[in-house]
Amino acid sequence: MEDYFDYTKKLFDPSKIKEKPEVFNGIKVLDFSHVIFGPIAARLLAQYGAEVFKIEMPFVGDLWRFGVYWGKFWKHSSVCFHFVHYNKNFLSVNLKLPKGKELIYKLVEQADVVVENFAAGTAEAWGVGYSQLSEINPKIIYLSCATYGQYGPLRFFPGWDLLAQAASGAISLTGYPGTDKYYKLPDYLGDYFPGNVGALALVMALYHRKKTGRGQYIDLAQSEALMRILPNFTYFSITNEELERVGNTDPTMAPSGIFKSRDGKFVALAVATEEQFKALSSAMGQKKLATEYKDGFERLKPENASRLYDIAQEWVSKKESAEIVNLAKEHGFPVAEVMDDFQIANDEWRRERGSVIVFKDDMYREFVLPGPSAMLSKTPGRVKWLSRPLGYHNRYVLKTFFRLSEEEIKKLEKERVIGYWDDRPGIKPPVYYDIEKDPVFNYQGDGGKQSP
Amino acid sequence: MSKGKEKEQVLVRYGISRREREKFLANMISPEGKPEVLDGVVVLDASYANFSGIIAASLFAEFGAEVIKIEPTEGDPSRKITPYGANVNGVGIPFIMEARNKRYLTLDVRTAKGRRDFEKLAAKADVLIETFPAGQMDSWGIGYRQLSQANPGLVYIAITPYGQYTDKAKEFRNLPDSDITSQAASGLAANIGDPDISPEPYNWPFRAGAWIGWYISGLEAALGGAMALVYKEATDEGQMIDVATADAYASLVGYPVFIGYTWEKARPRLGRHDFTLYPYGFWKSKDGIVAIAAPRDHDFRALLKILKLWKIEDDWRFTFDRITDILEQIEKLYGLIEAETVKYTSDELIKKALEYSIKSARSKWRGGGVPIIMKVPKPSEAMINPHWTIRKTFQEFDDKKLGKFVIPANFIKMSESPPRVKWISCDIGQDNDYIRKKYLSD
Repeated sequence: MEDYFDYTKKLFDPSKIKEKPEVFNGIKVLDFSHVIFGPIAARLLAQYGAEVFKIEMPFVGDLWRFGVYWGKFWKHSSVCFHFVHYNKNFLSVNLKLPKGKELIYKLVEQADVVVENFAAGTAEAWGVGYSQLSEINPKIIYLSCATYGQYGPLRFFPGWDLLAQAASGAISLTGYPGTDKYYKLPDYLGDYFPGNVGALALVMALYHRKKTGRGQYIDLAQSEALMRILPNFTYFSITNEELERVGNTDPTMAPSGIFKSRDGKFVALAVATEEQFKALSSAMGQKKLATEYKDGFERLKPENASRLYDIAQEWVSKKESAEIVNLAKEHGFPVAEVMDDFQIANDEWRRERGSVIVFKDDMYREFVLPGPSAMLSKTPGRVKWLSRPLGYHNRYVLKTFFRLSEEEIKKLEKERVIGYWDDRPGIKPPVYYDIEKDPVFNYQGDGGKQSP
Repeated sequence: MSKGKEKEQVLVRYGISRREREKFLANMISPEGKPEVLDGVVVLDASYANFSGIIAASLFAEFGAEVIKIEPTEGDPSRKITPYGANVNGVGIPFIMEARNKRYLTLDVRTAKGRRDFEKLAAKADVLIETFPAGQMDSWGIGYRQLSQANPGLVYIAITPYGQYTDKAKEFRNLPDSDITSQAASGLAANIGDPDISPEPYNWPFRAGAWIGWYISGLEAALGGAMALVYKEATDEGQMIDVATADAYASLVGYPVFIGYTWEKARPRLGRHDFTLYPYGFWKSKDGIVAIAAPRDHDFRALLKILKLWKIEDDWRFTFDRITDILEQIEKLYGLIEAETVKYTSDELIKKALEYSIKSARSKWRGGGVPIIMKVPKPSEAMINPHWTIRKTFQEFDDKKLGKFVIPANFIKMSESPPRVKWISCDIGQDNDYIRKKYLSD
């Protein structure tokens, strides 16, 4: 039989992704959301083939277009915004004007999914809430994202990822005990994780609709999504003790921690099972440890765990990190070198696997962004284009989808129902790019009155 | 404006009346009598000493799938992976927490007889989850390649540190998985911890205090699996899903990858500061710590007003004044804010921010800003907060073996087919008879 890894190499071949089908082909998504929490849910559908219309206010745009690291724009855009918004159609319509609303309602007639993440009740106030849109299209799946959800006394509290990290208690677990060192989870994890939960809810709702024909309303609170992954509530209800900050270790594994090797690198090491403990003991040349701590629960008790932590730290400090990785491979216990941003972006394994993608974009040229951690063999996700300046797809969508003529579009522009960027970086195209020659932005298609 | 008119305006602002909206939403809470999305979908969970698989299986189970957890007679070692060894009759806390709506079958895939039964089960299953070394199941004759022959609709999810293909996957196939190694390999640990100038070991990379690596991997596995089920519904075709836990964090948030590329270097660790937004972090109050987010200029101005710090406004007015690239400078601002926050209790600070926000939201001038302050509750406090009680975020169970306990549940509210937790119990082999009768009798 063919070698397993040759077989899987063919099965998952990243160069064949473009030829494979897309699972959400034909699904239309209306994305009213902003920053990260909502947009990432819509983007996950776009990654797997859905047609997503990102709606922004003309001349204003999504706040996260300006969400840049240390104030640095990249080609007049935010790199994070590219990641959260690739494969989307950028439509800039003023929802406050009746004509703008009319356009959106027309889009809703044919849409399958709507995503919003305003403060609770705001979408309703603007006439694009579930109660209104489900009148137009009863089969719609509507996802509302908020920090505290749509009902309950805290529902009007505004929020960011940070507040969800606080309200859920996630922050209370990360830091050094007995000091004033607390760390938040970096990179807006409190938005990304719940956003992915939102995508899961949407996929499940799409599955349900496929079977029953019924749409539905989804209320997702990002604090609840974070609470779902914390053990401290169950821990408290069983032991009557509060789980505190745990330090640089995993209290569910002993030994475990992030240690410094002889060559100054950082290595994460953990032992989850008795079998792995035996493996580590023999790799360390201290086989008697394995007989000393036979029972897993016993090993995890704070006094034992801290002794094993010291032993492991001592051992790692005397070895080169490559040596430790080799011993782990050979004996079978979890080890990984700590990877920083630069190493990850340039990691050969990730590039070969497709979890780091070197993408060539028509407007922004080369960009490197992550692929998924879950690879699908038959319907893989893909990147088609990066994010675009504010209102970039206006003309294209109005002509192909709404079948409007050039004159009608010009009238909408004049009435400021639709709009574009001004001179601020984040919403305008890169300096080198000749937008006048862009075939999508200046879409010349017939756009006549024929029905779609 | 008269009282009546004001009230009417509020109703207009919310499109429909508040009461109507609340009523609709309240109806939505209860899953009772509502269908389940994955009713009739059979999921086999053969994960071993790996919670990513168990978590993915939980998510399927919460959406209504029949999940069969397969473990050898001595039990999955995951049962013993628990904070400080805390357990109830030999079952660890995370294992209890994830024992949602599952069936427990003893079956040892390491034996030939076990594999024969496994094959029969897999022929009837829709989804299979496994976390063995890459190629192990295949060498036993029960990998995707073989099982998909008899059952082309099978969605086969494999979770390992470095995946199922590439040379590295082959080289590292026997390396077991853990949460901390997933965090380290995927760029999370490198971005938590104190800056360089702090003494060792505080300036080392740091582990996030929850199973971030494993929960991301479990969620992505379930998300991929759910998409594969949608595709299966349309085409009757299954597929293989390969999850690499060493990708978890970087693939989810993206930052390590595109910062590593556009900056051509790694970010330094920033301790309590954020790279993009400021102020955005945690400050001491008189009686604990509070989260403060006031990053937009008008939010920041509002924060200065409520903390009576207006005199420093001139120096820190714009976002660009508050970029965190000069550490000494931003530490200075941190200190200025902290000197004020420690004067108040957390509740006082929250009240101040809230009062200001309400005033500014009602004013016609929209530049008022929304400074947000929230305290960090202890689990015991969160569990009795009326907001979460009304939302039924925490669910209590009373199992004859496990006793009374609470789990965080109901984390997605859906009006038609909400996920739910129906029971929690996880005795080894508790459903052997039921499963054998239902799936293995022929």
